Amino acid sequence: MDVLVQLILNGIMLGAMYAIISVGLTLIFGIVRVVNFAHGEFLMVGMYAVYLLSHHFGLHPYVSAVPMVLMLFAIGALVQRFIIQPLLGADEHIQIFATVGLSTALINLALLIFGADLYSVQEPGLRKPLSIGGYTVLYAQVVIFVSALVLVAGLHLFMQKTPLGRAIRATAQNRNAAQLMGVRVDRIYVIAFGLGAACVGLASALISPLFPVTPTIGTYFVLTAFVVVVLGGMRSMYGAFLGAMIIGIVDSLSGYYIAPDLKEVVYFAIFILILIFKPTGLFGFGRGTE
Amino acid sequence: MTVRVSLSEAPPAGRLAAFLAWLGNPRVYMALAALSLLLVIPIVIDSPFIVHVFVTICVFAGLSTAWNIVGGYAGQLSLGHMVFYGIGAYTTALLIQHYELTPWLGMWVGAALSVVLSVCIGYPCFRLRGPFFALATIAFLEVVRLLAIHFNGFTGGSAGLIVPLKLGWAWMIFQDKINYLYIAFGLLLATLAVSYAIRTSRLGYYLIAVREREDAASAAGISNTAAKLKAAMISAALTSLFGSFHAMYLTFLEPETMFSLSGSVSVAMFALIGGLGTVAGPLLGTVLVVPIAELARGWLGASANGLHGFVYGVVLVLITLTLPGGLVGTFGPRVTALIDRLPGRRAAPDREEPALRKIDGKPGEPVLETRDLVMKFGGLTATDHVSITLRRGEILGVIGPNGAGKTTVFNQMSGFLRPTSGTVVVYDAAGRPVMPTRPDEFARLGVGRTFQIVQPFGKLTVIENIMIGAFMRHASVEDARAAALRVARLVGLLHVKDVEARNLPIGDLKRLEVARTLATEPSILLLDEVMAGQNQADTQKMVELVRAIRDTGVTVIAIEHNMQAIMSLSDRIVVIDSGKVIAQGDPREVVRNRRVIEAYLGEDFVDAQGL
Repeated sequence: MDVLVQLILNGIMLGAMYAIISVGLTLIFGIVRVVNFAHGEFLMVGMYAVYLLSHHFGLHPYVSAVPMVLMLFAIGALVQRFIIQPLLGADEHIQIFATVGLSTALINLALLIFGADLYSVQEPGLRKPLSIGGYTVLYAQVVIFVSALVLVAGLHLFMQKTPLGRAIRATAQNRNAAQLMGVRVDRIYVIAFGLGAACVGLASALISPLFPVTPTIGTYFVLTAFVVVVLGGMRSMYGAFLGAMIIGIVDSLSGYYIAPDLKEVVYFAIFILILIFKPTGLFGFGRGTE
Repeated sequence: MTVRVSLSEAPPAGRLAAFLAWLGNPRVYMALAALSLLLVIPIVIDSPFIVHVFVTICVFAGLSTAWNIVGGYAGQLSLGHMVFYGIGAYTTALLIQHYELTPWLGMWVGAALSVVLSVCIGYPCFRLRGPFFALATIAFLEVVRLLAIHFNGFTGGSAGLIVPLKLGWAWMIFQDKINYLYIAFGLLLATLAVSYAIRTSRLGYYLIAVREREDAASAAGISNTAAKLKAAMISAALTSLFGSFHAMYLTFLEPETMFSLSGSVSVAMFALIGGLGTVAGPLLGTVLVVPIAELARGWLGASANGLHGFVYGVVLVLITLTLPGGLVGTFGPRVTALIDRLPGRRAAPDREEPALRKIDGKPGEPVLETRDLVMKFGGLTATDHVSITLRRGEILGVIGPNGAGKTTVFNQMSGFLRPTSGTVVVYDAAGRPVMPTRPDEFARLGVGRTFQIVQPFGKLTVIENIMIGAFMRHASVEDARAAALRVARLVGLLHVKDVEARNLPIGDLKRLEVARTLATEPSILLLDEVMAGQNQADTQKMVELVRAIRDTGVTVIAIEHNMQAIMSLSDRIVVIDSGKVIAQGDPREVVRNRRVIEAYLGEDFVDAQGL
């Protein structure tokens, strides 16, 4: 029983990490209607930047979160403006190829600059275990969990209470109608893509103390994030949050009870089953709200 | 039936002559000459490195050509295609290791396994939209890769698997690398031949139709799933064969490289760069891009790790932004125009099918019946106990105000919607009642329909659009083309036959809807507002066309808002309002019916007129 509770706790902590990445992916898909295959590479870029800031300037990764959010917002906005926007009217497969190409270019650029070596941010304090009622979690994991909650709550308030948030929701629900009401849809898309990427900026700062960065770290995380997004109904950030928790727990349990190297097989199997049998996601959030 | 002319049915002497005529076509001999360079250059230069580069080109060009069958022709963007390559490689290697089976046989076992897997992936996943299909294929690739690592007792796991080194042709392993080139080139040639054969056959047209518009494809009698599955199976088998060969060339297999995501992306990327859905595109893309990568690796060594991938990625983004049609799609027409100026034989002139199929049967007997059709969308009853009997040889007009549910009835009569309750009965050629369910089954039974919102295959020419319909009765391209030409003349589209459909004005598009449906040689024709948006002269032409069609024995049921046209055209009128049939009968009586006038003009009008 103790083991099970500990495993579920681990899963929730892991899920929080996926949640931050997946919420960003969901924002982009839900609003711009483009699947960003380069999302993981945004994370990878952020993690290298966090490493460099920490290594050369001694900046604490959590302090780096601020510049990372800004930098990734800018990268996301630029990608939307100069790559996605010209392709919005193009065939879907052209859009897929564009983000796949971006992903390929970024992975290999990292390989060219940093090689295949692992780089870790040295913050051993954050990897210390914290004991809660006999169960242990790492400090960094608690920070990630709290951040994920704050992020979703913050985005919720932003979407519901601000004029810009309303304009974003309107665009997501009906692009043409929003345009007729005077919403500058192109600008909304740039902001939405930027926001989605900024989530990953936050994630890169929070994850760095726990995971060493490699050129392919993004692929590792983003495939899981795609599973989460599909599970959560593809357009709903609340769905993505719940989906992330489920995948985190599945990851943790199947790693222990089945085999550590087969946990991905388990959630990819879930992914395929969901796509086939319940493409609107598990929670019925799939109907384009937010 | 007309005389069919094709290579396979001609006598031996004729076959040779036909082959020579084919060779004499400038497009053919130029293509073969260009292809032979892949063999000639490395033989002449004779350096191990150059041979390696060319073997790699042949393998990736073949993989990309195979991918293009499902990714380009069928438009199903698989990004996990290396799963079939890996299966081919591992199957062949393991069969040598455990059973001493020669790779020449083992590769077919691998191909068979890949075909089975392609059905397992394709059948459930083909209904997913673009990006999600791509993600699902990635997921399958990852699952197989992780399983290959996990079951290391069987596959060697991450440590890898060394192919038993037995030299000679029987084992497909050679000291002199040039032998590999012969095999790789042969495989590539075969793959290109398959790709060309598909592109120029009924299946090729069907795949494009399915890619462009699934609904219009079903209405033309195409089973979307079957067409895509065929493409997937062929593609998987070819991909697997290259995997088997490449395993013998590399002699070392590990899951990371055999089931590689980046490899899958590269293969798709070469096709995009060269031109998606074209025969030559994947080869051209590979020839342009692979040498860059191999030369960078050869000259710069490990310090250039990532350089080629970076170039690949940047090129890919640039191509999507500047040349989404790829090289062949963009420059192909100009180059073929140049090649066509070279001396040589040309394709035979177009033939036109002389006469329409005659439809037998007694006029007046029922050909299609709807019995108590009810269609509910949530709380809304769109069709409310509609029973209509269509009689052979008549023109039945369906009228009613906007939103009355006329098109919904049509959708049920052609299989696009399954009624909540009630049945649609079609009487087949022998007069037996049949209850088909899928749109393509309706089409094959002779129920042809047009769409109110026109559904042209935009990137195909007018004549090719009509051929999609004609393929339902004619398996060969020549026959379908001949039949399509006849239909084009009948509906008045012959003068624009080689124009891409997306460039047509609405009047011609409406006629194209009719033409594509007519080409399926239906015995029952469902016309959904084919006169809407047409000018007076065009409307008159359409009225005459519908009469001419009926005179060939076709039964017509038409939804129309143009009262003048439908009243003069119809033998009988059915009026639908709020999902119910409110009146039917002779046109002159129906227009005087009080309920009909109410439905159109409201009760107040009826009262004011004192009717």
